[in-house]
Amino acid sequence: MPRLSLWKEGRHTNDYKFIDRRMSEMFTIGGTGILVHKYLGPNEQNISKNTSSAQASTSSSISFSSTADINLGMFVAGNAVVTGTKVVAKTANTVTLSANTTSALSANTTLKFYTDAAQPSYMNQSAQNIQDLFFLENRDRKYDTSVYNLRGIYQTQDVTFDLSQFGMFLQTGTLFIVFHINDMIASLGRKIMPGDVIELMHLKDYNPLDDSLPVALKRFYVISDCNNASEGFSPTWWPHLWRCKINPLTDSQEYKDILNQIKVDETIPGSGTGNISLGSVSSIISKYQEINDAIIREAETNVPFSGYDTSYLYVKPTTDDGRYPTDPLGLTSDGNITADSGTINAGAGIDSPGEPVRGYLTYAGGTINGLPVTVGISFPTNPMIGDLTLRTDYLPNRLFRYDGRRWVKMEDNVRTSLTPGPDNDTLRSNFVNDTSTFINNTGNVSVRQSLSQALRPKADN
Amino acid sequence: MAQQFFYDGQIRRFLVQFIRAVSNFDVEFGRDRDGTKTLQRVPVYYGDPSRQAATILKGNSENTLNGVPAMSAYISGLTYEQSRMQDPFFVDKMNLRQRRYDPDTGLYDTQQGDAYTIERLMPVPYKLTVKLDIWTSNTEQKMQIIEQLATLFNPSLEIQSTDNYIDWTSLSLIQLIEVNWSSRTVPASVEEPIDIATLTFDMPIWISSPAKVKKLGVIQKIINNIYDEQGKFTEDTILTNLVSRMVVSPINYSVFYSGNQLKLLKQHEIANDDGSLIVTQPPNNWRSVIEIYGTLVTGESEIRLSLPTGTELIGLITYHPTDPTILLYTPIEDTAPTNTLSPVNAVINPINVTVNNNLTNPSNGTRYLLTDDIGSAINLSGSVIWGSLIAKANDIIEYNGTTWNVVFDSATIKTTEYITNLNTNVQYRWTGEEWVKSVEGVYRGGDWSLVI
Repeated sequence: MPRLSLWKEGRHTNDYKFIDRRMSEMFTIGGTGILVHKYLGPNEQNISKNTSSAQASTSSSISFSSTADINLGMFVAGNAVVTGTKVVAKTANTVTLSANTTSALSANTTLKFYTDAAQPSYMNQSAQNIQDLFFLENRDRKYDTSVYNLRGIYQTQDVTFDLSQFGMFLQTGTLFIVFHINDMIASLGRKIMPGDVIELMHLKDYNPLDDSLPVALKRFYVISDCNNASEGFSPTWWPHLWRCKINPLTDSQEYKDILNQIKVDETIPGSGTGNISLGSVSSIISKYQEINDAIIREAETNVPFSGYDTSYLYVKPTTDDGRYPTDPLGLTSDGNITADSGTINAGAGIDSPGEPVRGYLTYAGGTINGLPVTVGISFPTNPMIGDLTLRTDYLPNRLFRYDGRRWVKMEDNVRTSLTPGPDNDTLRSNFVNDTSTFINNTGNVSVRQSLSQALRPKADN
Repeated sequence: MAQQFFYDGQIRRFLVQFIRAVSNFDVEFGRDRDGTKTLQRVPVYYGDPSRQAATILKGNSENTLNGVPAMSAYISGLTYEQSRMQDPFFVDKMNLRQRRYDPDTGLYDTQQGDAYTIERLMPVPYKLTVKLDIWTSNTEQKMQIIEQLATLFNPSLEIQSTDNYIDWTSLSLIQLIEVNWSSRTVPASVEEPIDIATLTFDMPIWISSPAKVKKLGVIQKIINNIYDEQGKFTEDTILTNLVSRMVVSPINYSVFYSGNQLKLLKQHEIANDDGSLIVTQPPNNWRSVIEIYGTLVTGESEIRLSLPTGTELIGLITYHPTDPTILLYTPIEDTAPTNTLSPVNAVINPINVTVNNNLTNPSNGTRYLLTDDIGSAINLSGSVIWGSLIAKANDIIEYNGTTWNVVFDSATIKTTEYITNLNTNVQYRWTGEEWVKSVEGVYRGGDWSLVI
């Protein structure tokens, strides 16, 4: 009789299978239902094109219906393409590679083109792919549209809210949940891995504060770490349980595929007929943006433009000799003072100040004392003394006053919105927010270009 | 009694502007399953909410998803900066005129409105330290935000708490002091959903006491010597007995008071010795003068006329409805000179006065002010009406039930006296030489003042 041994190298023993089935039953009997959104790998981030015709033989020339979005120097990925191959030339319909294909490509073969070697394209959608080989992260994740139902067991915990700064703080709500490995693989096709998203169905919240929400709020977690559970080893020494550390899901770039794709108002689940995304119902981000908008509005009310508002101030007009016109002025068209009128009449010029309010950033393109101003790109003809004109062809716009002999510069429009954006006319903002283009021999050229990419050829799309 | 409450939200306004300065930045998400790239704005909010407000934002549910990227700003310090301290007792004054405001339209028109003098006490310097937490879910996202923010501070970013021209403390700047790149331990051993980078900023700010906003203060009288002829400095010297003083009007105008009207005169327009006026054209416009100092408020604005007695006649003013050269003047009765003599029943010329019952049968105590002489020492028979009365022009006579007697001998009285003519209710002033209307006439620059 051989010596008893529960341990056996190689194939699992019946002891193992017996114990494993009992453990599976325990999950079926006592586990909670968990829905798993399976991570499939990163979304394709680069250019994917199909060949328009077959290669007669191995060659460096490949035909496409259009090559407009392909740039010289791009890396090429594809079957029969050597790793590190680049685009060295192109015409409207053909691309020349730096190396011959290893076999002749048939028509409608998919090739991929990418610029950063550390952010490559992959030929297959796979959870093994890494989107960014430099930062080693998968930012734009793709999830299975199918949802997998598993059973899991975890120890419920009292959650302490740490609302400082961010509502619920990072570690708060971290749980450890265990799955039956073989059941998990049978259902999911692989073990649960970090990045998979699970929904604990029994934690659905039917009573949120906003009772107008169209659906109950579901509890999502993301898997952050997995390993064999210590309590999941049987006397055979083989593991049966998969222990996962889970954190509350955040509405972030990584999970947009779930949060945007799932429509909570679909009449038939999975039909894609709904309009209300899961993210819009469950996420706090839109509320934060509304709060931010309110703060910006308050800030813009306090300081609509940089500098100081002097438009409400009254500047005492002065006569040509610099005195206050305490006597009513009548100015003839030639600038002489008349004595025939006690008030300004239509024949007189504007009784305008010769000096604006002086100060740091005090002019926003208006006029002085609310007096009429001519806005244009040239000076008006036959002006009268005191006439004001705002030249919009000056940058910044400039206000002039006619003193009888010449147009005297009064102020430059130097006040600007301080909210970052296109209305912000600061020097830095002019560099950041300039969306203008011009046309030259290469077509439309954007004025704003990154320094590292300036003057380099770009794709047209 | 408790100190008056004041709160202007000064620190709040700086914090609001700080959040504005770092708002409106986007991050770019990569291509989704449809190949579409998206931009998402990074919200910025105050990072120290109350527990209740935070719970409301989360919908009172554990299932609400936190969102990233996001930024939160909060104050981590406020310290007094001795190095920026200046004279704490310094009071700065600025004089401003506003354009006239139309409360119905909410607009300012082209005319002058109110004028003010603003007194500002030296503000107190503080250093406001603010932390900005940047919440991201991946390194690329953090890079995108940091790269956009990093160009803002070179070396600092100027911000303002208000755009009020009067607020001399509104300008400040944001200085990036420190960057704490990550809240996580690097290398991260497990996948954390959120990373926090913390940027620390300093803002040199000022906290101000309330300002004093007053009606525009205008120098009406300048006393340039406060010592008497003996070189003594006493209260009397200042108040009454100044031997060397200069009273000026800033624009050197005079006013002519007649009836209930005031006219504005330049110095050279008062020319004739007889008091007649030579007014050059164009006539002077009251509005343009008053608006140098502010706005005339009907029922409140006053003109004060300095009287020879040292008192002032105070009257309310309003613009004439049609004539801009005239100001309607309503003296306040209590400020008018008090009569020093009993009133007279009439001012008469005794030579050609109409003889009626008032003369033929006057009642006891009837008093008249004479504009011409009557009677003579050589006319022993006297007249039917006046009897043997002998009086001079400017004398006041009174009937005692039997005869007329001189009760005010103009030849001997040199003090200033006031009397009212009951027939016209006009008050007259005895100058020592002649009777003149008590308050009407020309008031030169410095002898009148405008209170608006």
